[in-house]
Amino acid sequence: MGQVPDSGASLGLAPYRAELHAWLDAHREELAPRFSPPGTLDDHVAQMQRVKGILFEAGWMQLGWPERVGGRGGSPMLRTELGAAIAGRDLADPGLFSLIEVLAPTLIDFAPPALAAEVVPRLLSGAELWCQGFSEPDSGSDLASLRCRAAPEAGDAREAPRWVINGQKVWTSLAQFSDRCVLLTRTGPTDSRHRGITAFFVDMDTPGITVAPLEMLNGEQEFAEVFFDDVVVPADRMLGELNGGWAVAMSILPYERSSCFWQRIAYLYRRLQQVVEVAPDHDRAAEIVGEAYLQLHALRARSRATQHRLAETGTLGAETSIDKVLVATAEQTTYDAVRRLLPGTIELDDSGAGEVWRSDYLYSRAATIYGGTIEVQRNIIARRLLELGSDA
Amino acid sequence: MIDADERASMAATVRGAIAHALAAGGQDADIDVVLAKLGWPEILADEPDDAIDIVFSALGAANATATALDDVVVSAIGQQPRADLAVLLPPFTAWGPPGRIDADDLRAQGLATGRAATARELLVVCGTESEPRCGRVPIADAEVQAVRGVDPDAGLRAVRVQARAPDTSVLEAAAWQSAVALARRAVAHQIAGASREMLELARSHALERVQFGRPIARFQAVRHRLADALVAVEALEATLTAAREDPNPDTAALAKAVAGRTAHTVARHCQQVLAGIGFTSEHPFQRFLKRTLALEGLFGSADEIVLDVGRRLLAERRAPTLVEL
Repeated sequence: MGQVPDSGASLGLAPYRAELHAWLDAHREELAPRFSPPGTLDDHVAQMQRVKGILFEAGWMQLGWPERVGGRGGSPMLRTELGAAIAGRDLADPGLFSLIEVLAPTLIDFAPPALAAEVVPRLLSGAELWCQGFSEPDSGSDLASLRCRAAPEAGDAREAPRWVINGQKVWTSLAQFSDRCVLLTRTGPTDSRHRGITAFFVDMDTPGITVAPLEMLNGEQEFAEVFFDDVVVPADRMLGELNGGWAVAMSILPYERSSCFWQRIAYLYRRLQQVVEVAPDHDRAAEIVGEAYLQLHALRARSRATQHRLAETGTLGAETSIDKVLVATAEQTTYDAVRRLLPGTIELDDSGAGEVWRSDYLYSRAATIYGGTIEVQRNIIARRLLELGSDA
Repeated sequence: MIDADERASMAATVRGAIAHALAAGGQDADIDVVLAKLGWPEILADEPDDAIDIVFSALGAANATATALDDVVVSAIGQQPRADLAVLLPPFTAWGPPGRIDADDLRAQGLATGRAATARELLVVCGTESEPRCGRVPIADAEVQAVRGVDPDAGLRAVRVQARAPDTSVLEAAAWQSAVALARRAVAHQIAGASREMLELARSHALERVQFGRPIARFQAVRHRLADALVAVEALEATLTAAREDPNPDTAALAKAVAGRTAHTVARHCQQVLAGIGFTSEHPFQRFLKRTLALEGLFGSADEIVLDVGRRLLAERRAPTLVEL
C-alpha cells in the first residue's frame, strides 16, 4: 500500500498519472488477460473482476471514492484516470468496467448509508457485479413510460416492510453475471410518467427473477431480458424517495457523460493506435486516419472541458448531450476508418485479431443508440440548449 | 493574468465598439482604427491568448474586416507590429514560408490582408519550414492585386514579389511554427464567431418563420439540423480551449481543421433552415457563408491539415493523445 498516494488530493493529476502508469508497467504480467483474443464474454468478465481485485488489493480502486463507502477520498478524476489507463491498455473492456461509474454513485447518493458502506466496496473489489434495470420492451428512448410495477406487499406504501415487483426489463447488460440490480419500477399510476417511478436495489438471487440473455449481432450475450415474477424486496432496499426514482436515474448522467466517456475515449485512441501501426502508408489512408484523429481530438477536448466543469461546479446538465453526440459519432468514425484502412479484416479475417475487430466494429454500430439515441440527444439540444421551445 | 470577469467585460467592449463602428460606417468602417483605440497592440503583446480569442471571435461574429492577423504573425515571430508593416501570408490552403531566395533574387507568392494596400513594407518569410529566414521588402517591390473572389469585403490581396533579395535574418524554425499556430488559432476563432452567428440567424428565423400553421422550429427535421450545428460549434470551441491550454503546433493545427469542418457543417444546416431568405443578398447569412469560405484557406484548409496530420501519424506509427485531464 505504501506506494499508493493517500488520496491524490495533494497531488496534481500528472504526477498521479505517472505513478499509476509506472505501477501498471511493473504489474504488467499479473494484469494481462489470461485468454487469447477474442475471448468469450465469460473470459472478459472474469478478467475485469480479476483486474479490479488486483487494483483493490493495491489500493488504486478506492481512490476518488468517499471514505464512508470504503474509498480513500480524493478527486473523482483519479478514478477517471484509472479507468482510462485500464481501457488504454486493454486490461478490461471499458463498456463493462465503467459500469462502476453509473452504479456506485447511485448507491452512494441514494442508498441508506449502511447499505452503501456494505456493498460499494464489494463492487469496487470485483467481489460482485451489478446491473442496471432501466429499459423495458415498450420503454426505450421514452424511459418515463416504464411499467415494471412495484407494489407494497401489504398496507400503505409509506409503511410497507416489503415490496412486490412484477414486470420485465430488457437490454440489461451483464444481468446473467450480476449479484444485484439497480431497478426502476412503476409505483405511481400507470400514466404518472417520471413522477411515479421508484428505484430499488435488488439481489439477483431473489426468487422470481429469471434472466434470459440476448445474443447481439456480434454473437455475444452482453445483455439480457430480465423477468420479475412476484419478486419480494425489503423496503430498506429502496433507493431515494418513494416516487423519486426519476431523480435517481437522472443523477447517473453526470458520471456516465464524464468519466465513462473519458474511458471510452482512451479506448478509441488505443484502437486508432492499433490501426495506425499496420495501415498502408499512402495518402488515401492518411486522410482516413487524419479525419478519425481530428474527431477524437475534438471529442477529447470537449470531454476534458466537461470534466473540469463537473469538478468545479459539482453538476452537469443538458449540455452533456453534446458530448454524447460527439462520442457516438467519433466511435463510429473510428471503426469506419478501421474498415476502410484494413479491407477484408472485418469482413473475412477469422484469426483472433480479426474476430476482435469484427466484434468491436459491429458493436460500434450501437454507439448512436445506447445511453440515449442520438435523436433523443438532438431533441434535448434543441429544446434545452437552443431553446427552440416544445416540438409538440 | 486576466480573470474571467475582466475577459467577459473586455469581450463585450470589443464587440460593442465593432458593432458601433459598423452601424456608423457600414463596410467602409475602419475596424483597425477601432481596435487600435481599444489598445489591441498592447493587449496582443501582454495577453496574446486573450487578445486573439476576444478580437478574432468578435471580428467573426460581426463579419468585420480588419488586418489584425498581420500583427499576430509579426509578434509571433518576435518582431514589433506596426500599422505600416504588412505580412505576406502563405498561399490559399498552404502554411509553409511563402518566399524563396535564390542567389540574389527573392521570389514570393501568397496572400495579404488589406494592410498591403497602405503599408510601406512587406514582411516576407522565406525558405523552408525547418530553415526559415525573414526579410522585409518595400511594398513598391510587390505586385499587390485586390481579390474580389467570393468575398470582396474580406479585403484579401493576391501578392507576388520578384525583387532583389533583401537582407534577411535567420528565424528559428519554432518561430515560424508558432506564428502559424497562433495565426491558425486566430482564424479559427474568427470562424467560430462567424459560425455561432450563422447558427443564431438560423435559430431566430426558425422561431419566427411560420409554415403549416406553426413555427418551423417545431419540426424535428429543422431542430436536428440546428442541434448538429451547435454540436459542431461547441466542438470547435473546445478544441480552441485545448489549443490555448496546451499550446503547440498540433493542437493549433487541429483547431484550424475543426474550424473548417465546423464552418461547412454549420453553413450547410443553417442555409437549409433559412431556405429562401438565406439565399438572398438582403439577408446577412450570405456574408458569413462567404467570409468563412475565404477564411477556410488561410494557414491551411481542413483537408490539407487532415492529410498532413494523417501522413505524420502513419510515418510515426503513433496516434498520441494531445490533451490530458
